[in-house]
Amino acid sequence: MKHLEEQVTQADSLGSLEKIRIELFGKKGALAAEFAKLKDVPGPEKKAFAEGLNKSKANLQKLYDERYELLKKEEIERILKAEAIDVSLYSNLEAKGALHPVMATMDKIIDYFIALNFSIEDGPKVEDDFHNFEALNLPKNHPARDMQDTFFCKDGGVLRTHTSPVQIRTMLETKPPIRMIAPGAVFRKDYDLTHTPMFHQIEGLVVEGKGEVSFANLKAILSDFLHYMFGEVEIRFRPSFFPFTEPSAEVDISCIFCEGEGCRVCSDTGWLEVLGCGIVDPNVFKAVNYEDVSGYAFGLGIERFAMLLHKIPDLRMLFEGDTRLLEQFR
Amino acid sequence: MIVTRTWLNNFIDISEVSNEKLYETFNSIGLEVDSIKTYHIPDKVVVGKVLSCEKHPDADKLNVCQIDIGNATRQIVCGAANVVDAEYVAVATIGAKLGDDFEIKHAKLRGVESEGMVCSASELGLPNLGDGIMILDESIGKLKLGKDLNEYDRVADTVIELELTANRGDCLSIYGVARDLSAALDIPLRVFDYESQNQEKIGLARVAELKASTKINGSLKYVMADVQELHTSFVFALRLAFIDATKENALANVVKYVTHTTGVVLRAYKTREMLVEEDDKITITASMEDEITHIEANGKPFSILGVSQNEESKADDETVKVLFEASYINPDTLVDAVAAKGLETDELYYNTSRGSEPDLSMGTKYLMYLLESYSGCNFFDGSLSLEEELESKIITINDREISELIGRKIDKAEILSILTSLGFRVQSSAEENFGATIPKFRHDIENIQDITEEIVRIIGIDNIEAKALKFAEAQRTNPTTQRYHAKKAIRQSAVAAGFYETVSYAFSDKSLLEKYEFPLIREELDIINPITEDLNTLRSTILINLLIASKRNVSYSKKSISLFEIGTIFDENRREKEVLSFIISGQKESENVTNNGKPAMIDFETFTKKLSAVIGDFQLRSNSQNNALIHPYQSADIIINDEVCGFMSKLHPTVADDFDLSDTFIAEISFDALIPQHINANAISKFQGVYKDLSLVVDKNLPYNQVSTAIESLNLPLLKKYYPVDVYEDASLEEQKSLTIRLFIQSLEGTLEDSSIEETVNTIVSSLEEAYGAKLR
Repeated sequence: MKHLEEQVTQADSLGSLEKIRIELFGKKGALAAEFAKLKDVPGPEKKAFAEGLNKSKANLQKLYDERYELLKKEEIERILKAEAIDVSLYSNLEAKGALHPVMATMDKIIDYFIALNFSIEDGPKVEDDFHNFEALNLPKNHPARDMQDTFFCKDGGVLRTHTSPVQIRTMLETKPPIRMIAPGAVFRKDYDLTHTPMFHQIEGLVVEGKGEVSFANLKAILSDFLHYMFGEVEIRFRPSFFPFTEPSAEVDISCIFCEGEGCRVCSDTGWLEVLGCGIVDPNVFKAVNYEDVSGYAFGLGIERFAMLLHKIPDLRMLFEGDTRLLEQFR
Repeated sequence: MIVTRTWLNNFIDISEVSNEKLYETFNSIGLEVDSIKTYHIPDKVVVGKVLSCEKHPDADKLNVCQIDIGNATRQIVCGAANVVDAEYVAVATIGAKLGDDFEIKHAKLRGVESEGMVCSASELGLPNLGDGIMILDESIGKLKLGKDLNEYDRVADTVIELELTANRGDCLSIYGVARDLSAALDIPLRVFDYESQNQEKIGLARVAELKASTKINGSLKYVMADVQELHTSFVFALRLAFIDATKENALANVVKYVTHTTGVVLRAYKTREMLVEEDDKITITASMEDEITHIEANGKPFSILGVSQNEESKADDETVKVLFEASYINPDTLVDAVAAKGLETDELYYNTSRGSEPDLSMGTKYLMYLLESYSGCNFFDGSLSLEEELESKIITINDREISELIGRKIDKAEILSILTSLGFRVQSSAEENFGATIPKFRHDIENIQDITEEIVRIIGIDNIEAKALKFAEAQRTNPTTQRYHAKKAIRQSAVAAGFYETVSYAFSDKSLLEKYEFPLIREELDIINPITEDLNTLRSTILINLLIASKRNVSYSKKSISLFEIGTIFDENRREKEVLSFIISGQKESENVTNNGKPAMIDFETFTKKLSAVIGDFQLRSNSQNNALIHPYQSADIIINDEVCGFMSKLHPTVADDFDLSDTFIAEISFDALIPQHINANAISKFQGVYKDLSLVVDKNLPYNQVSTAIESLNLPLLKKYYPVDVYEDASLEEQKSLTIRLFIQSLEGTLEDSSIEETVNTIVSSLEEAYGAKLR
């Protein structure tokens, strides 16, 4: 019996253990042979003999089970080890692309205004003089047209110089109350370090009944919006001039690069100009035949926001599809 | 518009107002400060008087000067030629620091001791005032030898550049800015006046007359002077340099100086030779045609009111008798007329077109004051004027409406006081509505909102409390908003599929569009004034922009380029359409361990999978496009909802060469087709279905879509799905191929019987046999 026990405890693989199991516990195995001897044992000794055999069998079974558990565990361990890989090799597979920072900034701006129940409106890129200028209180030869170098088409069409014509289209197509934004590409004939012939704007317009919309309302929404975009910045409204609003203002935020100390980006002023806005000029309402209404409008350049938010150094780079820039936004 | 502190001081006492306060005030009243700079003259630079000046014994170009600096006399060697004529100069004494590493020390110049330096303007950090050293005079104040130059505030002045908005022509002068500042700071404006002290004057009326032969729409005023010893004082020269407007001669400098100071548009003319013969009386006649007023003297035209002057009649320093013209015309009528006639305009037209100062006598008096006080000029007595009779513009306003627009209660008294300080005349009355008379210099004020803006400027936007607008209305998710959401979702999918979003100009190069056979906008609809030759038309495809971007990326050694863009394109009739365009070029994925650093080149299959990940299911059929980017044998129409909405293709190898690209695939799809459609769910079967593979031998050139169309037309109720899984060609099949289609057959009603499976399969086989001679393998 001793040597049988040794065989079990020294089995070195599941295969040899299985062989041993058959040799021991099989129908023609060693235990079966021992039990066969029982019939030859004389009557009075039979009981003791059988008890001894059962004890040995139970002992062997126990040893076998223990050995099996151990070898099984070792076997799984071996399989797992064999499948080991260096996971760190699979870092950064660059399988995802990226949104363009200007478009992503536009998304962020649009999200804000959608949350405030503004509708999105759109209009053609090639506009006519009426929608792009005339209706916006920019009569022909008005000096304010000088502010916007315009691309003209031979049939009198103009590439829209701002998103403001969408205001006019929306007012003509719908009725107050209006609460809209118009995001999109605009065009000006200007090409240097800080100007590209195409860029993007978002225009906003709110129209309500007469006496309902005030400059104070404009201050509230734009301050909130700029805090949403830039966090805890200081905000400054400066009176300014736009033909389609009166009173008008430009809005500055405290410089996010130097926190108002003065740096290259803010030309040492501590302020960054980010928005134009105002109360809609009565001449604009007249052009769309609105009476007894009041409203405010605002507009901003998306490239400027994107460049400020992401500290992008070069405007023109944004239009070149340069993946060295785009990959950074993955 | 550039102003300086001391220049403003002529009209308003701002000596107690700090630079910070000025900066704040300008910004808050809508005169945006572009820059503010205080000039600081280095210490130990003092006023000196040149006592003598002798040639250096050993150097032709050097002078040895004895210079009195108050408490002592210094010998200084000076290289500037104009030191010979100089009396008062700026002397940098020993120890003065003119730069970070430039300190004045005792020196020996070619053997001669020199104890200091006579300075030029630029050496002191001032704007360049021409060659040589800076010659001082008492225009900066009483000159005291040895006094630090920095103590003269007209030299160490603060220069402020304002960015004026297009409506504020009234602030195109020192006087105009001072007037606005006076209202904001509540400091009185100093009114300028001048009476000539010269008693022996000839009356101007004796030598000249002015008449209008028609009604004219502007105002004119002429004065005349014998001009002698014309001198540009140091402060004039310095201030003109501060505003970067130094002119070609002393007379032009004076005229510019007066215009910049008062805002009155002034031009100077030669009288003799150009306008009249010697001793003739000058008859000036103004006549208007189509809103343009032409002015002539004795029949010779010399000026167009507010627009330009004849170049030949322009007075210069040689002119003895100069006729000065002050003019004003309301820009609202003038600019249209000038544009309609296409008239050439001179530099001063800018001031006129923005609204120049209408008080002409202030301009002529200031001119007279300067020329009689600082030069030896003698004016004729009196002036000749034609004044346009203009009715004053009156706007009816009320405090309620102004308060509503601002969103804060503004008292009537406050409105009255602000408007009065801005030069408006207001009739105070107990009525709710009251009239405000607009000053002539504010042609931009037209209605109550313009007036409100004036109130807002002066009370300051900071003093308006922000108030949220209450919302009470229906939601506004309109189709454009939904389209935006769809676009955002597609963009996000494209990013997930590994593409980078680009934004490119909506322009294109006509020659490239032509070369690659894309439509061109009809000539008569095209852009007149393109910015550059390579952006000379509106694009009819985004793909060329993407090719150019890819080429650029290749030049940065990129091996794998995946770009997409959603944008507007324009057809022949300039109709706008939004498309989604893709390009993928080079390796199909990044180099990494999964591909042993050797990823395969992009292929049709991978590109199609990526497209499908972005835009969902689509069908492909043989290409029907015909631009030159397309590879004739690896290209396809993209079909969504049974409509061709775009194409995809391998890039034609010759085009790939043009753009230095290796294997490249492109696609352009109409965005309209990608807007998600409403979906109704179909019933789902509870019963098991079976897959059956159908291997058919068909003609080699039979495209799969014809097979699928035939199967589709059978409308088999049990056939839930089918798709090609294998195509096999070999020599034994000759002109045929083996096509394996996997069918999924399932019933909604119950478990499938073998017979009904067989029936479905047989129907397909026999119909394909009939249509295309297909045989089971």
